[in-house]
Amino acid sequence: MANWTEASKQRLQIVLSADTWLPTELPEYARGFMYMLGSLTASSFVVLVLSGILLAMNGPTSWSYNGAMRFVAATHFWGVQAFFFFMMLHLWRVFFSGAWRGGRGLTWLLGAIAFLMAIPTAFTGFLINGDLYSQWNAVQAKDGLNALGLGWVNLTDAGQMFGMHVVVLPLILAIIIGLHLTLVRVKSVVPPYPSAPILDEGQGE
Amino acid sequence: MKGKVNSLSQARDVAQDYRLVPEDFMKHLLLTLGIVAAMVLIASFLFGVPEKQPLTIKAYATQHPVAFEQVALRALDGQGQLANYGPPYNHGTGSVQTSIQSVVGILHPINAAQDFILRPLSMAAAINPALRPSLKAFASASAAQQARWEAAATTALARASDHNGAVVWPAGSYGPVRTLLAATLSLGRSGLMYGALTRDGAVVDRFDNQNALLFLQGSPLQTDPATQSLQGSAWGIIHPAINGYPGAWWMTVPTWIYQWPFVANSAAPDALALILGFVVWVLLAITPWIPGWRRLPRYLGVHRLIWQNYYHDHPGGQAGAIRGEGVHHA
Ligand code: HEM
Repeated sequence: MANWTEASKQRLQIVLSADTWLPTELPEYARGFMYMLGSLTASSFVVLVLSGILLAMNGPTSWSYNGAMRFVAATHFWGVQAFFFFMMLHLWRVFFSGAWRGGRGLTWLLGAIAFLMAIPTAFTGFLINGDLYSQWNAVQAKDGLNALGLGWVNLTDAGQMFGMHVVVLPLILAIIIGLHLTLVRVKSVVPPYPSAPILDEGQGE
Repeated sequence: MKGKVNSLSQARDVAQDYRLVPEDFMKHLLLTLGIVAAMVLIASFLFGVPEKQPLTIKAYATQHPVAFEQVALRALDGQGQLANYGPPYNHGTGSVQTSIQSVVGILHPINAAQDFILRPLSMAAAINPALRPSLKAFASASAAQQARWEAAATTALARASDHNGAVVWPAGSYGPVRTLLAATLSLGRSGLMYGALTRDGAVVDRFDNQNALLFLQGSPLQTDPATQSLQGSAWGIIHPAINGYPGAWWMTVPTWIYQWPFVANSAAPDALALILGFVVWVLLAITPWIPGWRRLPRYLGVHRLIWQNYYHDHPGGQAGAIRGEGVHHA
């Protein structure tokens, strides 16, 4: 790796190539509903970003009184449910597939980090809705954060929470999802366990 | 077309014999986007968005005048949850769960007596100058004198009654405290107190609701019937504010941890539940590197369902390849 530019160029040629992102052939085992779960999760994220842009554009006060904006808020709410629902199903699918095999540990780790980051992203969204749920969560959850020394995150400061929810956390989440998807595309999805009986333990000798 | 072998050591637990088949990936992506969009639109149309009326200072002052004066008194005498919280708000000790909380120190200073009661009242005194003598009397009294008035007021309010919204105190010597609390109640009822608590003389925008939210965070919010199902001890983290809607069910594991007696009864239940929840997450995250555990899915056999068609098409086809290349010993 003497020449960083050469090395970066070689990597980017793969990462930025249309062949990587738009395959015309996929492995025969990677078909069906089980393999749609990740894309359904990613699609939910797209729906969240789009509805979120509409919400941000009109501002928090519009969400509660304006009929059209309440509908957009509803799509955002159900988008969150869809996102976590499909993410959990996806997590189980990849767990039962042992999908970290074949050098895909980092793919799994990035998925797990996406899950972790999604939690405060959703939570800060609940905080800026302005209803009893916002009020309750802001004053209840602060004790845990304060105890962990994270008091600079002021849950009762709607300005800080708006920034966290609309910019900081979704941006981090988008980057992690992007890296996750890049690895999945570059490495392709993991092949099944060999159909032969399990030989690598008992009968290995 | 055969798949490529990544490396010999991986071959033992990764099948090698599979074909690549034509696939319209773009259609797949648009299909999943379409499915989610349709689901979300239908759910939004049918169920809307859950929104539960918040507990406002005005509503609380109107509906529970005696309790409201008690909340105000606890802010004034320093006995309230927030008044005696500790970092990051003040030097109190009531809610200091860990030493790191103390190390981080005071980030959002709150002097409950001043910020919640006396300063809002001095603003109100601009409209109602009759308040000024009471404010002055309280400010110029010694701390011991203030404490005596406050103690008398605490006893009195425990026996006070609500007559058509007016708080009736038993006779006693409360100095200016009774007047100050009555004025706080009026301010609360007027709907102006929220603004007085979130004011900031330096800037025109209002982003920070800290003091307005924290003023009601103790017993008013805790004893509100609407929050009972949201209490941490009642698995509240995963409950919605309106029954029938889904809540934050993805927090089930930390919520469960929160119920463990040694967590619930510890001095730092919130921090402990979060830390233990994080430990569970770490175990999940490092699954690929945990010997034994990372092999579990192969034995569970759920993968036989996931790849049903594949195994149907490749019955035991690969035994030789695995045995030949990939066998490693534990
Ligand atoms: C933000 C949420 C996530 C999104 C958008 C996402 C998206 C995807 C997509 C589109 C795939 C391609 C294969 C498929 O769809 O089955 C995939 C694969 C994978 N994901 Fe995720 N994922 C997310 C969360 C997770 C989580 C929480 C984990 C596990 C902790 C995870 C682990 C994996 C692994 C190991 C693969 C490789 C699967 C294989 O090789 O068969 N992902 N992900």
